[in-house]
Amino acid sequence: MKKSKNTPNLNRRNFLAGTASVAGLAATASVVPITFANANHTDGSKGLPDFINWKNRDALIVHSDKGIETHRSAIGEGLITPNANVYIRNNMPTMSDAQIGDRNNWKVSFEGVNNPKSFTLAELKAMGTTTIATVLQCSGNGRGFFEHGPSGSQWQTGAAACVFWTGIPVKTLVDACGGISSGANFMTSAGVDHEPTGLAPKDAMVERSVPKKVYEDALLAWDMNGVPLPNSHGGPLRMITPGYFGINNVKHLGKVAFTADESQVKFMKSSYRISPIGKKGSEYPTCWEMPVKSWITRPTDETGTVKAGKVQIVGVAFGGTRKVKSVKVSVDGGNKWQKAKFIGPDLGKFAWRQFVLETTLSAGTYNIASLASNGKDKQPELRMENRRGYAHNGWKDHSVNITVV
Amino acid sequence: MKLLRLILTATGIFFLNISYLIADEAKMAKGLEIFNETAVCAACHVLKAAGSEGNVGPNLDTVAVTTESVTDIVTNGLGVMPAFGEDEILTKEEIEAVVYFVVNSAGK
Repeated sequence: MKKSKNTPNLNRRNFLAGTASVAGLAATASVVPITFANANHTDGSKGLPDFINWKNRDALIVHSDKGIETHRSAIGEGLITPNANVYIRNNMPTMSDAQIGDRNNWKVSFEGVNNPKSFTLAELKAMGTTTIATVLQCSGNGRGFFEHGPSGSQWQTGAAACVFWTGIPVKTLVDACGGISSGANFMTSAGVDHEPTGLAPKDAMVERSVPKKVYEDALLAWDMNGVPLPNSHGGPLRMITPGYFGINNVKHLGKVAFTADESQVKFMKSSYRISPIGKKGSEYPTCWEMPVKSWITRPTDETGTVKAGKVQIVGVAFGGTRKVKSVKVSVDGGNKWQKAKFIGPDLGKFAWRQFVLETTLSAGTYNIASLASNGKDKQPELRMENRRGYAHNGWKDHSVNITVV
Repeated sequence: MKLLRLILTATGIFFLNISYLIADEAKMAKGLEIFNETAVCAACHVLKAAGSEGNVGPNLDTVAVTTESVTDIVTNGLGVMPAFGEDEILTKEEIEAVVYFVVNSAGK
């Protein structure tokens, strides 16, 4: 069949801002213009997209060039997830070094404060620094277990990581700006990674509002696990909202505003809403606090059969915005539960804890599950059915089947 | 008589197949036009068959595509992707054609 490859007529894009060309649009933005053919999506080495070809391919499941998951077993034995194993979920293309320019000159503005100010990254580094560990988890982690087949990457357990972030507390910057203006109810963070695309901000800007109180725990991060925050994870500066789903941890951060109302952009108003199957709308809850959750990381069906005898059942557990208090493990599909032991250091309430249950298994097949509690809530048995497959923390779907020989 | 029936049947099957092929080709061409011109999917997606190199949404040559999943996403939108059906940017027939084109050309 002979195909006539038409040239995309960008003027006709009804969701682009009405400027004559993409280059023209980008030229009005605060970053270097690019064309749509800026190919950081192309296959790089090892089957990874070029922009993350430094990642550990063996640890990753590639759903698409914008959605890359960590294998369950690659969460590994360490408490902190190595950068090379951390999942990727991008709503906008990762900004390139050329678009970012001199990282020290990256600017973030503060609005909705008594003295609005703008800071460069170099200035932020001189004003204060701290390090926190948090669980970073995509709202759709576990979507792959939903039977109604919601669209989007079919994550199982690996759109999650535990990461050390280094940066400056938002509270320090609020104080430097004379405090929050009266009437503010939300902390609203905006990225600038939509600007090079030329897409209209209302459709493409990743701007997320969270309850104002989150600012007390929040951080503007420039380092990830001890190295400058990679562009693919939102470098050079990212909002970290501990205990809140990944989407609220805005990448390529350009603005923090304390606002009376939630942002009206698409990513706040209509996307990331937890609605019943077949329904949608801004009246449904958005993806904010992560619920308590855990899963087994060893042994798994990814790592082959298990030798009969003494077995260490290992996993990770976190409590969302509260500290995880306990984990129970079942080797018979949830009929009987045994208390697991936390191991390794406690890195604070926003990090995950490793746990282990030592048990003895004879030859046979087993369904292994874990059930965590944060003292207030515990994991339910079943998923909360919803249209887009968000916020899954049911223990049953997250169990693993293993064969002992 | 048997021979005549056989010839007529074979001729019928031949023309039936031809008509299907013409229908497929027409649907593919229409899908391509919608992809590159009407909906301008090309601005945001890579799809070699369309000659497109957009980098906002996933590369359609490497992502798993099914008629069901593409129809859902084109109709209802996802993230930055517009709801082409729900917002009446495309007709049902246009969605069917562009989905047909994407599903039958992705990764080829």
